[in-house]
Amino acid sequence: MGVFEGFNMPDELYYHTEHSWAKVENGKVRVGMSDFFQQEAGNVVYVDLPDEGDEIEQGEVCGKIQTRKWIGKLVAPVSGEIVEINEEVNDDNTIINKDPYGKGWVLVIEASNLDEELGNLIHGDKVSEWIRSEVKRAEELKAKGQEGKE
Amino acid sequence: MMETWRYIKEWDKLVSTAYGLSVDDTLPYSIHEENSPPILHLYRFKPSVIVGKYQDIRAALKIDRCRERGIEYNRRSTGGGTVIMGEKTVALGFGISMKHPKMNGGIRGIFDILGGVIINSLRKFGISASFRPKNDIEVNGRKIAGLSASTEVGDALLFHTSLLIDFDIPLMLDIMNTPAEKIYDKGYSCFSERMTTMEKELGRKIEVQEVMEAVKESFKETFDINFIEDHLTQTEKGRVEWFIKKRYTCEEWIFSKRHPKFKMGEGLLKTPGGLLQVYISLAGELIESLMITGDFFSTSANINKIESALKFVPADRRDIENTLGSMWKENLIYGIDTSMLTSAILKAKENCG
Repeated sequence: MGVFEGFNMPDELYYHTEHSWAKVENGKVRVGMSDFFQQEAGNVVYVDLPDEGDEIEQGEVCGKIQTRKWIGKLVAPVSGEIVEINEEVNDDNTIINKDPYGKGWVLVIEASNLDEELGNLIHGDKVSEWIRSEVKRAEELKAKGQEGKE
Repeated sequence: MMETWRYIKEWDKLVSTAYGLSVDDTLPYSIHEENSPPILHLYRFKPSVIVGKYQDIRAALKIDRCRERGIEYNRRSTGGGTVIMGEKTVALGFGISMKHPKMNGGIRGIFDILGGVIINSLRKFGISASFRPKNDIEVNGRKIAGLSASTEVGDALLFHTSLLIDFDIPLMLDIMNTPAEKIYDKGYSCFSERMTTMEKELGRKIEVQEVMEAVKESFKETFDINFIEDHLTQTEKGRVEWFIKKRYTCEEWIFSKRHPKFKMGEGLLKTPGGLLQVYISLAGELIESLMITGDFFSTSANINKIESALKFVPADRRDIENTLGSMWKENLIYGIDTSMLTSAILKAKENCG
């Protein structure tokens, strides 16, 4: 488990820098959005899901997530075929915020190049360092915004 | 050396929704694929109404009335709610890379910094505005501008704003479905208490060009850059044509079914502070919009603050009470507490059909 700067970022998961997470389950990869994303972006209004059977590449945008202020990207953490999507995220659009690593998962990928691509993701000890830099970057931007209003 | 950004100004004509939105949608592509410097597009639409990317357009608008009155309707590619556009509303499209040093990446703060640009523009006219989290600019509790954004391609951001110089509330009530439909006779005051315009604040007419100039200057000051007045390149014009054909004149896009389930309802509750009437619209399980009226004592600014805080909060007791609890002060609504207001909201939710 890992809670860094107030964000729950389990370090056994693999993270793409665009804040999707990947969990390896018997060669398949379950994907969702991180606690950092859901806290920063706010309540999820709608998830524009891809279709089962779609082939995607690591780093490719495979869905859109609308929050109150933002339409963010769901970026595929690994390449492969989408074999399952979680329709429940639109039946109850609160579950990504309430349970981002559980009921709020978004899709499952049958990975095509898993071993190599996991190396491109953030994992283990590197998660805390990454989140600290993300928080710092966000705070700097926020401060810049405050200056603009003074 | 000071950076030079691109400025595309179209103040002297009213453009169709298909054209204006298509130009805006090309901006992030120019940033991402042609390595263009950031681009500011200021323009005006023909009389029109535009819904957010994931809104249910049939639930939001009276399509037949729009057609009868010759009001264009369309769907933009950024989020947020319905906006009415016309000759006295400034439309702003802005494209920039999230990795641009002036933006510094990240989600938090984008609206703060770009909202700050609009606030600074209004200050040039002596209007003291502030940012109302998470995507409105307000003056004394009344909305004057709405902000929305999306990232469609790479790290390029598209930011949209509509800034009200003047506004036709009767038109809005005629073409939009609002939670306050059942109190149509009170509709005008309901909305005039919740929104304002630059002309209303200043009590005089303002030229659109003046406002556009102020917005441009505000960008220059905020980001410490210069602008060059520019036109679309041939590549960009080609992309605009593509978006017009494949997106903004396409029924599949305009009447997209990709949206949460939309419901509206009304809740009434007698309280020691008076009758509390709540009109609610739900997007899935979230409160999309809320209107609180009744014969209680409060101020418009307080009511607007409460309504704004509850937008896009899950419509369940715990989340509503937590949200109200974090902002509540004694006598925000005289004789009414957070528990009573929550009960009225939940009644409205129960009555949603």
